[in-house]
Amino acid sequence: MMKAVWSGVAVVAAMGFMAAPAQAQTTASASLSVTATVSAKAKLTLSAASISFADADPDTTPSIAAAAVDVDVKARTSGSGSVTLTVLAGGDLVSGGPSIPVSNLTWTSSGGGFQNGTSNKTVAQSVGSWTGSGNQSGAQTYALANSWTYATGTYTVTLNYTLTAP
Amino acid sequence: MIGWVAGLRPASAQQVTDTATLNATFSGLARLTFSSSTLSFPDADPDFVPDIAASQGPVSITAKARTAPNGAVTLTVQASDNLRSGLDTIPASSITWTASGPGFVAGTLSAASPQLVASWIDSGVHTGTQTFSFKNLWTYPTGIYTLMMMFTLTAA
Repeated sequence: MMKAVWSGVAVVAAMGFMAAPAQAQTTASASLSVTATVSAKAKLTLSAASISFADADPDTTPSIAAAAVDVDVKARTSGSGSVTLTVLAGGDLVSGGPSIPVSNLTWTSSGGGFQNGTSNKTVAQSVGSWTGSGNQSGAQTYALANSWTYATGTYTVTLNYTLTAP
Repeated sequence: MIGWVAGLRPASAQQVTDTATLNATFSGLARLTFSSSTLSFPDADPDFVPDIAASQGPVSITAKARTAPNGAVTLTVQASDNLRSGLDTIPASSITWTASGPGFVAGTLSAASPQLVASWIDSGVHTGTQTFSFKNLWTYPTGIYTLMMMFTLTAA
């Protein structure tokens, strides 16, 4: 009798294993946390380190043009951040003692966000402005007003560009 | 797991017959482990580092699976979302990987659908590595961007 009872328990246990068939599909999951840091930065590239104006007759060439300067702006800022490019003259055009007001140096621009302007030695003038990160390319073509009143000489001035991406 | 069946009848005077059947059941199993639970991409100048490697280096992956004979075992990954920093986003597809190890393949992360990381046939233990990189562009708004990569190992 005891043997029959034990036999019955064994069969029930075996059926329990068989009632749990292997799953048709088994999965395991895991995750990786990803962080990417994007910081503010700005980069300004001018195609030329110097520009020159050739001598010309003021009557036939009242404004002397220089070769265009390509301007490449790269900036990273916030989504609504303001990117500005300005230029400030180091002074007037000077040739030893004589000078020519730097306001005689003007420029026209091409390219999205770039502006025309007049050089100034006290207040930085806007060359271009944009919103948000990105690459901006344009060109500036400087022109020097030509006047009979200028003293002869070779005049120079330094133009300082500042790109700001807050 | 091991189960067994024993059919036993009361003994008779002349003959005793017992039978026993041994059943060994191996169910489907899958296990996935990584050498790192985080990935970090540091800031860099896009002109000099157009693709940023993860600080952790290659991530080692061990996939263990039990499946039916000729059963397919696949490992996929899907991004929880695009990389997000507040309202700013960078597409998850800016993260790509190269791979080493049998069955592992290179790919591009997606938030829309699972992307294949590796596939094999039959049960076994498989190891390989993924080396992640982040496409570095000037156009990204500044911020600290995060997402989760969800890996799924499936043994059919």
